[in-house]
Amino acid sequence: MGFSHFLQWLSETPFSDVIRGSVWVQPLLETIHLLTLTVFFGFVVVLDLRLLGLVLVSQRVTEVHSQLNRWLYVAFATMICTGVLLFSGDPVSFWDTVFFKTKMCLLFAALLNIGVFNWTVGRRASQWDLAPDTPLAAKAAAIISLTLWVAIIAAGRGIAYAVQPPA
Amino acid sequence: MIRDLLFSFSQWSDTMVLGHAIRESVWLFPFVEIFHVLALAVLGGTVWLLNMRLLGVPLLREAPLPELARQLWPLTLWSLVVVLLSGYALYASEAIRVFSNWGFRVKMVALVLAVLFTFTLHRKVVRAQEGNVAPVWRKTAAVVSLMLWLLVGLGGRAIGYIT
Repeated sequence: MGFSHFLQWLSETPFSDVIRGSVWVQPLLETIHLLTLTVFFGFVVVLDLRLLGLVLVSQRVTEVHSQLNRWLYVAFATMICTGVLLFSGDPVSFWDTVFFKTKMCLLFAALLNIGVFNWTVGRRASQWDLAPDTPLAAKAAAIISLTLWVAIIAAGRGIAYAVQPPA
Repeated sequence: MIRDLLFSFSQWSDTMVLGHAIRESVWLFPFVEIFHVLALAVLGGTVWLLNMRLLGVPLLREAPLPELARQLWPLTLWSLVVVLLSGYALYASEAIRVFSNWGFRVKMVALVLAVLFTFTLHRKVVRAQEGNVAPVWRKTAAVVSLMLWLLVGLGGRAIGYIT
């Protein structure tokens, strides 16, 4: 069974029908997705601005990191769940739009960026925790992160227009 | 009387160059909307952070709350400016259409209250030393702020779904 067959099969399941057919399920999922996004992106911005040395400079990077991370994990998991459900409601149209594929690639890149940061300069964060100037690599990671999340949100808006033009 | 005044404002906004340009362009509305979403996410993030602290959640607990509020204030303020400017541009492109939309009306009333509250009482409570305001008032301020901003968000979501 090819991938397009899988999407076709998924779109014909009663599960997909419920998401697509109900008056309130899709708006509810979208609203949760967006509300969670406001917390997630807000925290990402605070975290990245700390890495750039622009806000909360009197706070340890490792502290800001570990405390915001718990919320970021929960928010991210919520968005993955609501995102997968929204996708299931109309998988063929989602897969058809370039915005969806772009968003998935960007999402992968954003996670890769987090991984690289954690394995390199982030690992040594306790050494530059309170330094007035953060390392260049940390600044680069922050700028890449901000750019990618902005692009992810933009692509997400694109999906909403491509799949179902807002009234 | 107030309704007439607001309607005139909508009519005036609707005929302005700004609204006209957004209406005529295919990509300008989504483009402005992205800025609106990005800025409201930043605003939402800082509002959430400060309110969690008021509720007693130990988020970034090493920083005293007044200090945290002061450091995040530029972020709150500038994201609000971008939200309002981009929001007005989006509104101007369909001012007459949304005027009678109940989602929009709820959103605007909640927005005025939320902004007033943020700049007055909420700001005072958030910047007060921990012991100077009773916990019950700190929690009340947090709940009122969260409810008002949630209402702004839900009203905004509803605009697209109510026809």
